[in-house]
Amino acid sequence: MRKKKIILIMLTVTIISGGWYGYSEYNRKPIDLSISKADLQLSTSELISSFENNVQESNKKYLDKILAVSGVVKSVEKNDQGFYFVVLSERGNMSSVRCSMDETHQQAAVLLTENTQVTIKGVCTGFNSDELLGSDVILNRCVVMK
Amino acid sequence: MKKLLSGSLLVILTLSLNAQDKYFTKTGNISFNSKTALENIEARHKSVTCVVDTKAGNIAFAILMKGFEFEKALMQEHFNENYVESNKFPKAEFKGEILNNAEINYSKNGNYSVKVKGKLAMHGETNDTEAMGTMIVKDGKIQVNSIFNILLSDYKIEIPKVVSDKVSNTVNIDVRCSLEPLKI
Repeated sequence: MRKKKIILIMLTVTIISGGWYGYSEYNRKPIDLSISKADLQLSTSELISSFENNVQESNKKYLDKILAVSGVVKSVEKNDQGFYFVVLSERGNMSSVRCSMDETHQQAAVLLTENTQVTIKGVCTGFNSDELLGSDVILNRCVVMK
Repeated sequence: MKKLLSGSLLVILTLSLNAQDKYFTKTGNISFNSKTALENIEARHKSVTCVVDTKAGNIAFAILMKGFEFEKALMQEHFNENYVESNKFPKAEFKGEILNNAEINYSKNGNYSVKVKGKLAMHGETNDTEAMGTMIVKDGKIQVNSIFNILLSDYKIEIPKVVSDKVSNTVNIDVRCSLEPLKI
C-alpha cells in the first residue's frame, strides 16, 4: 500500500514537471542578444573576406553563431515597415556586413553616426553574394554593444 | 590611349544607363503563415534582396532561410533543422519575368496589377511558380506586393506524421518590398 502511494506520488511529480518543461519549452522566446555572450569576436573585414574566400567553410564556422563584429558604420537604414539596419563596411569596399536590428533594441541604431567605429552583436544567417549589388554577410537580431 | 579612354567611357556610360532601369532593395519583407485548426505558425524575414529590371521585365528575389524570425524559439529551431534544413540549403531564390511589364509605366506614379511567372528554388527543389501582385510606382520608387501560396510537398519538405494536424501543407506567403533605383 505504501509502495503504491510512493509510486503514485513519483508519477504525479514526473507528469507535472514533464508538462511544465514541455509547456515552457513550447513557449520559449528567442534569446535576447543583449544579455547573451558572443561566440566569436572579429572585425568586419575578417568576416567579409572569410565568406568571400570560402562560403562553405565560413557557413560551417559562422552560421547560427552569435558574432560580435567591429567595424565602421557605412549607413543606417530604415525600411518601410520601420525596421532598422546598420551597414558596416570598409571604405571603398562594395561588400558589407548588414545588421538587421532587434526591434526592441533598435533605438541604439538610430543614434549611430556614419563613419564611426562600432561593435554590433548578432546571429549570423549567411552570405548573399551579388556582383551587381555587392555581397553581404547578414546578421540578425542585432544589438549595439558600444 | 584615346581609344582606350573612349572605350572605357562607353562602358561606364552603358553601365550607368543600364543601372537606371534597375531597382533594388536589401531590406524587403517576406512573411509566411501556415494555419490549421490547432496551430498558427508565422514567421517574418526583414532582409530580403529583390531586384527588378524594368527594361527586361525581370524580377528576382533572394532570401537566407535562417533569417526567418519566429515568435517561438522552438518553432524556429524546428523550421531550420527539420523542415527547410537550412544548414544544407541556406538560400531560397526566385527568378521570373513580369508578364505584363509593357503595361507598367515606371516613370509615372500609379498602381499596377502584375502577373509574375518564374522559378522558385528552395530546399534543393525548383518549381515553376506564378503569382499575382501589385506594383506601386511612387516618386521614383517601386513597392512590390504579392500574396501567394506554395505547397510544402512541391519542395519535398516533409511534415512528420505526429504534427500533421498542426502543420499545413499549404503555406501562405506575403511579400512586401520597397525598391529604390540602383545607382552605380
